[in-house]
Amino acid sequence: MNIVVAMKQIPDLQQVRIRNRQPVFEDVPYTLGNIDKNALEAGVALKEALDAKLIVVSAGNEELEDTIKEALAAGADEAYLVIDDSLDNIASDTSATLIAAAIKKIDDVGIILFGEGSGDNYSGQVASRVAEILELPEVGYAKEIELNGQSLRVTRSLEESEELVEVELPTVITVVSEINEARIPAVTQILKAGKKPKEVVSPHELEIAIGSVQVTTLSNLAPETDRKQIVVKSVDELVKALTTEGLIGR
Amino acid sequence: MSELMGLKAKLGLDVFKHDKEAHIKIKPGMEKDPRLKRAVWVCPAGLYSENDQGEVELTIDGCLECGTCRIACGIEVLEWNYPNGGCGVQFRFG
Amino acid sequence: MEKDFDAIVVGGGLAGLAAAYTIADAGLEVLLLERGDYSGAKNVTGGRLYLNPVREMFPDLWEKAPLERFIAHEELSIMDKERSITVRYDGAELVQAPYQSYSILRGKFDRWFAKQAEKKGVAIVNKNRVDDLIIENGKVEGVRAGGEDLTAHVVVACDGVLSLLAEKAGLRKPGVPQDHAVGFKEIIELDRTTIEDRFNLEGDEGAARLFMGEVTRGKFGGGFLYTNKESVSLGIVVGIKDLMEEPMVQAPDLLDAFKLRPEIARLIKGGETSEYSAHVIPEGGYNSLSKLYGSGILLAGDAAGFSMNIGVTVRGMEYALASGYYAAQAVIKAKEADNFESETLAVYEKLLNESFVMTDFKNFKDAPRVMENPRFFQHYPQLAGNVMKDLYEVPAGSKARIYPTVKKYLTFGEMWAMFKDFRGVKKI
Repeated sequence: MNIVVAMKQIPDLQQVRIRNRQPVFEDVPYTLGNIDKNALEAGVALKEALDAKLIVVSAGNEELEDTIKEALAAGADEAYLVIDDSLDNIASDTSATLIAAAIKKIDDVGIILFGEGSGDNYSGQVASRVAEILELPEVGYAKEIELNGQSLRVTRSLEESEELVEVELPTVITVVSEINEARIPAVTQILKAGKKPKEVVSPHELEIAIGSVQVTTLSNLAPETDRKQIVVKSVDELVKALTTEGLIGR
Repeated sequence: MSELMGLKAKLGLDVFKHDKEAHIKIKPGMEKDPRLKRAVWVCPAGLYSENDQGEVELTIDGCLECGTCRIACGIEVLEWNYPNGGCGVQFRFG
Repeated sequence: MEKDFDAIVVGGGLAGLAAAYTIADAGLEVLLLERGDYSGAKNVTGGRLYLNPVREMFPDLWEKAPLERFIAHEELSIMDKERSITVRYDGAELVQAPYQSYSILRGKFDRWFAKQAEKKGVAIVNKNRVDDLIIENGKVEGVRAGGEDLTAHVVVACDGVLSLLAEKAGLRKPGVPQDHAVGFKEIIELDRTTIEDRFNLEGDEGAARLFMGEVTRGKFGGGFLYTNKESVSLGIVVGIKDLMEEPMVQAPDLLDAFKLRPEIARLIKGGETSEYSAHVIPEGGYNSLSKLYGSGILLAGDAAGFSMNIGVTVRGMEYALASGYYAAQAVIKAKEADNFESETLAVYEKLLNESFVMTDFKNFKDAPRVMENPRFFQHYPQLAGNVMKDLYEVPAGSKARIYPTVKKYLTFGEMWAMFKDFRGVKKI
């Protein structure tokens, strides 16, 4: 069986700075999303239990071949990459079409793992769209995945409760960060990563045309909050004011 | 630039990646050592300060890993290492 | 014995990259370990690289290198509290290609250099700190990083000014204040055209400015300003020993005061600071260089102490590049001889001795002691400022004659002290 982990190349957000109220992406190194790394780690655990092959699938610009080494170092056996410089800032639907088309090229796929949302936009759409295109079930918010014969028992982390579900393979699963702690690969694993097999295709080879982006970000700012301008003279007054605002003593 | 930027704000411009442990530590019992007090003056990030009891305290967040404290105070009073790989300050310009 | 690599280079700064690049170019297996997210992430420069001494060592490198501006104008300012004297130098040779020096940002340059090294075949692993050396029977056999042992015939330690590895190898002791300075600087972003207008530059021309005197409150050191393409590097270098002595001043305050000087404030007005960085600089000169090699180990760059302050120029990066290059030559020769003991690696020191590196270090070996004289940083800037003030001043009444004005300052005692001070300078 093959296990697929879909991962997204994103700019290292800590390296993005703001100049003239706009983010500066120039020279910002690429990395893989943190939750994507949790998905990969979950894939490594399943791969070992199932004696399967772990294949990382990703779409992105030319830097991807380099960025993906991190996934190969951290336990993926192979990479299947859709690379084209037009693949910067593509919308979730295009991403999903590309990822699904790539997965179709891989035989005997039993489990497809995603992070719950990407590290940059966190639209949380791609996995569901891929499941829809591939006509597979999807289990979201996975915080624990347990092998149960030919099916998986997945604990879903919902806000106020946990749900235990059982799903037949093949299936799509999206994981939350609490599922595991992603490993930091050792030097020798990083060195070996460069030698692992990589298949690189263009969107054209997958017969997918990249349309123009239909969602445009108009502004991306922290919500503006007005100060309450309440002056207090004593601790009691402060406590009272905070209670009135419903901030304490709930 | 007519207004000066505080040191904290300046350090806030830099990229810092969190490390799971402090890479520089004041050796136990050395908090009042005169050699350590030099750090209060020499640290370009102003991370060392002296409290009311005359003890030197170190806040590691914002460390530029320049090495001045190790040179000025010495390794008898400081346990000094670099942060773990991929942690600590990451200069964009340098 | 089988080894994972011919050489492991520790540290992806200029010395390490130069070494790895050259070793790989000769077809040897080399691993470079860098603790930052990328090469350059932990490196700081004042801002200027002199190319002439190292141009031929890396002939393919410079054409496309992301350097900032070639330095076309040099200025030196002597600062007193409320006045300063500036000498500007323009020379035909400064504006003729190939240019002798460039302003540079290490975050950009080192990252690019690392890419070129990878193309030569260097295996580069970032985000990995080397924790220890593997030493067996007195010979360095490799390094320990992230809990793993990685073996090599030779380790080239380019781990910077503090070189914890050189200490572990017993090649040096922890650094002392009198042999080190600390530099700290801001990158202040300004539009290209603003920079060109304010500094009187055309195209890719750049300006280099050094400041001494009040800028360090008379302590050993100075201020610097280099123009980059779209920013200026503005900072201070000050001796650590002096920083530890009276008059006490907090290091970062020096830079703030420097920025408020009217001479500087107008140059950076409207600029936006985008980074604050600092680093220790080795300044002990020839007499405080480390032992340069041991069995299975070589030191290059700041790790060996290769940086020099002779007042008007502070240089380290050319020495880093060159020492990395010569360390690589030593590794290549040791590989040919299949012997990595210190007798074979001694060729490193021989190569350095025959090069500009050691020639410079020997020629300027007295510079640190001469430059230590506090009168250069306090007394003379004040004296020069006062003479200029009186020369240029036109008071309400009659102006004093020039000769007595100058003579008022240059008493016999002053002249004798000056003679003694500048006799020292002859050694530089």
